[in-house]
Amino acid sequence: MSQTVLDELDHRLIKILSKDARISNRRIANDLDVTEGTVRGRIKRLQQEGMIAFTAITSFGLVDNSRLAFIGVQAEMDKTKAIADKIAKLPSVNAVMITMGRFNILAFGLFNELDKLHEVASDQILAIPGVHHVETSLAVKTVKYNARIVKITDAHPPINGG
Amino acid sequence: MSDDFAVDEIDMSIVEQLRSNGRATNQQIADRLDLTAATVSARIRRMEDANKLRVVAVSDFSAHGYNVLMEIAIEVEGRAASEVVKELAEFPEVFAAHLVTGRYDIDMLVALHDFDDLSDLLLNKFSSVKGIRSLIPAIAADVIKYEFDVAPIEAKEAV
Repeated sequence: MSQTVLDELDHRLIKILSKDARISNRRIANDLDVTEGTVRGRIKRLQQEGMIAFTAITSFGLVDNSRLAFIGVQAEMDKTKAIADKIAKLPSVNAVMITMGRFNILAFGLFNELDKLHEVASDQILAIPGVHHVETSLAVKTVKYNARIVKITDAHPPINGG
Repeated sequence: MSDDFAVDEIDMSIVEQLRSNGRATNQQIADRLDLTAATVSARIRRMEDANKLRVVAVSDFSAHGYNVLMEIAIEVEGRAASEVVKELAEFPEVFAAHLVTGRYDIDMLVALHDFDDLSDLLLNKFSSVKGIRSLIPAIAADVIKYEFDVAPIEAKEAV
């Protein structure tokens, strides 16, 4: 975990940008009563330190009726990292974490068909050497979801904002 | 989610550009896609107004001091799972809560500042929720990939 300490101005800046990333530096500077240069510099620093990233979030069902699926994987301990890296490369998998608990690896993906989930879980992941067991579960209803606070990983580097 | 809002390939190509850089200007996007800046602007606004798109800064858990991340599966007993999940979702430590199929009834993503917060969460918060038969945690040791760019979108807040 990063040791970066954010101050109050950083948090106010993040709050504004988490509602709308396309607001101009000038307007943010006005709202926060600082110079545009300060806003630009802060944004750049926060991006470089992996604290923020600018992205588009689309609604469930914009293109198809995707459902969130959980894929729990039990794998040989000494191969866990390598297997997790392989699973992370699958295009329909949105998130992968190495965990301590009932699974070694927990993966999340969005699927618009059960066939596709089955293919990823039972054909692709189960076929990776060292994987012992795969369990799936589907989100039927999402009651809470915070898409603004995430894990910014190297696999998804923040790209310089304009 | 079955409303009649439709997107075409141009909309999706604009969304792709915004996903990789949400701060790209309309002109930069227009140049890359061979469109006009006015078209880009109008299409973004249309999707935003329909609550289908938000272009935002996402921030890291650690930016907010959250250093422990765990997934918790819950078995419910003697109460409707949909009621239990609603109560659990009220706790600020719960970042995501879903009703799920399978062996467990609820799946949650929980973030804590550190492990010291665990006793308060268990003894003072989760223990007050009726109907939890068991909590089965998986503590995240390492996050390899985290690309949730699809989410339920709340109505736009007044600025």
